[in-house]
Amino acid sequence: MAYVDSAKSIPLSRATSLFRGKTTFLLGSLFLSCFIILAIGGEAFAPNPPNQIDLLHRLSAPSLTYPLGTDHLGRCILSRLMTGTALSLGTALTTAGLILAIALPVGLLSALCKGWVDAVLMRIADIFLAFPMLVFALAIIGYLGASLTSAVIGVALAWWPGLARLVRTLTLEAASKEYVLASRQCGQKPLNIIAKHILPQILPPLLVVLSLEMAGLLLVLSSLSFLGLGAQPPAAEWGAMLNEARPFFAERPSVVLAPGIVIILAVLSFNLVGEGIRFQLDKRKPYRW
Amino acid sequence: MKQFVFKRTLSGIPTLFGMTLIGFLIIGLTPGDPIEMELRRLGVSFTAEQVEALRVEYGLDKPLIQRYFIWLLDLFRLDLGTSIASGRPVLELFKEHLPITATLSVLAFVSSLALSLVLGTVTAVSQRTSVSTSLYVLTMFLVSVPSFWLALFLLAVFALGLGWFNLLQFGNAQDLILPVITLTLGNAAVMSRLVRERIIAVMSEDYIRLAITKGLSRRAILGRHVFKSILPPLITNWAISFGSLLGGSVIIENIFNLPGLGQLALQAIAERDFAILQAYLLFMGLVFFLANFAADLTNHWLMPQLKEDDHGVR
Repeated sequence: MAYVDSAKSIPLSRATSLFRGKTTFLLGSLFLSCFIILAIGGEAFAPNPPNQIDLLHRLSAPSLTYPLGTDHLGRCILSRLMTGTALSLGTALTTAGLILAIALPVGLLSALCKGWVDAVLMRIADIFLAFPMLVFALAIIGYLGASLTSAVIGVALAWWPGLARLVRTLTLEAASKEYVLASRQCGQKPLNIIAKHILPQILPPLLVVLSLEMAGLLLVLSSLSFLGLGAQPPAAEWGAMLNEARPFFAERPSVVLAPGIVIILAVLSFNLVGEGIRFQLDKRKPYRW
Repeated sequence: MKQFVFKRTLSGIPTLFGMTLIGFLIIGLTPGDPIEMELRRLGVSFTAEQVEALRVEYGLDKPLIQRYFIWLLDLFRLDLGTSIASGRPVLELFKEHLPITATLSVLAFVSSLALSLVLGTVTAVSQRTSVSTSLYVLTMFLVSVPSFWLALFLLAVFALGLGWFNLLQFGNAQDLILPVITLTLGNAAVMSRLVRERIIAVMSEDYIRLAITKGLSRRAILGRHVFKSILPPLITNWAISFGSLLGGSVIIENIFNLPGLGQLALQAIAERDFAILQAYLLFMGLVFFLANFAADLTNHWLMPQLKEDDHGVR
C-alpha cells in the first residue's frame, strides 16, 4: 500500500474521478434498488422466518442456517434485517410524505397570500425552527407517548419549517412567471392556477430535495428507535433491533453492529444519489492546487 | 452596532414568546387530567370533590390563557415546577445534570469546528490526490453513520477489544473522551461538507483567478480572500451545528450512560414527567436561540455591510 502516500498514485486518483458524478449516482441507485427490492419482497428472500425463536442457538456465530448469526432470542439476524427493510424505509417515506403534506400548503399559502398570512406563517415556522430538531421531536414524542407513530409525527413537526420555506421561495419564483400572471388576468381560479401552473413547476425540485432529506430522516428515525422511542420490539425495524440487542453488546458485539451496517448502507445510498445529482448540476470550475 | 443589537433583540422577542407558548402547551394540553393521573399513580383512593379541591389548589380550574400567564411569571422567577416522579424541584435536577451536557457539547463543538475546517479545506482546495480523496470518502461515510452506531463501534474497539476504557464505569473526566470523539466525528463530517462547498464556490470566482495570476501565495489567497468571505455563512452554520450537538448529546449520553440533561429527558419521557420535559425543551431552545443570536452579532461585527433579511437567522 505504498502508493497511498504518493500524491500522483494512479489507482486512487482514478477512483476519484469514478467516485464523483455518474458513478456515485449509479452506485447509490444500485444500492437503493437493492433496498427497494428487499422492501417489497424481503420476507420471500429471507432464509428463515424473521420471528422464529430458537433458544438453543441464541447469540450464535454465523453459520449456513443463520448467515449472520442469531440474536438473543435465537432469531435469524439476516432474515430480520431483510424483512425490516419495508418497515424502516416505509417509516422514513411516510415521514417525508407527512412533511410534504404540512410544508406544501403552508409554503403555497405563504407565498400566494402574501401580507399578514405570509408574516404569521413564517413566524410560526421560525418558532418551530428555534428549537434544536431532535430536542423538539423528543418533546413531541414525550407528549404523545413512545411509539412509531409519535416518532413519525415528532420528526415531521420538527422538520417541516425548512421545507415550507423552500416551497415558499419556489412558489414566489414560479408565480412571477409571465404565463402565470397572464392566466390570472384571464380570470382563472386560484386553485386552477396552482394545480395547472404552479405545482408542475415546484414539485420536481421539491421531490429531489425531499429524496435527499431521506438520508437525514432515516438517521433520525433509526436513532429514535434505538433510544426505544420509535418502533417497539418485536418489530424488525433496524434501529429497534439495535436497541433490543444492546444488553448483549459485551457478549457478542456483532449482534449490535450488524443492523447498524444496514442502516449505514441505506443512508449512504441516499447520500450517494444526492451527491451524484449535485455533481451533475454543478457547472463551477474551482481552482485547485 | 448598538442599533443592530437592539433591532435583533426586538425581533427575537416574538420568537421567544412563541417558544414559551409551545412549551406551555405541551403540559397544558396533556391528555387526561394530571391530578387524577397522579392520584391513580400514587394508588390513593379519591372522591370527585377532592380532585376538584386539588384542581383549585394547583390553579388548574382557571382557563388555559390565565394559566399560561401564571406559568410564564413563574418561569421568569426560575420556578420550573416540581418533577412528579422524584418530587424534587426541576431546577435542582437541571443544575445536577447540566455540567455533563454542557462539557460534552462545548468540547465536541470546539473540536469538530477545528476538524471540519481542516477537512473541508483539504478536500476543497487540493488537487485530486489520494489524501484528499480518502478524506472526502471518509466524510461521505461519516455523514452516513448514525452516531449511536459509531459510539458502539468505538466501544467495541477501544473498550471491549483493546480494553482502554471500562465499558460500564463512566464518571470521571477521562470517560468523556469516547463520547466527545463520537460527537465530534459525526458533526465535523457534516460541517466540513459546508466548508468544502463554500470554498469551492469562492475558488470558482474570477477574483481568485486574478489573485493566482498575480502570483499571490496560497496562504495569502486562503487567508485574505477565501476564509474572509466564507466566514459569515460558516458562523451561521456553526450556531445550527451547536443545536444539533445539543440534540445529538441525548443519544451519546444514553449509550455511555452519562447523567446529563439528555438522560434526564429520556427518563422524563418514560415516566411521563412533563415538568422536566417542558423545562428541557425550553432550556435547549433558549441555548439554541442564544447561539443563533451570538452568530448574528458576530457576523454583523465582522461585516456590518452584510444585509440581514428577515429570515436570515438560518
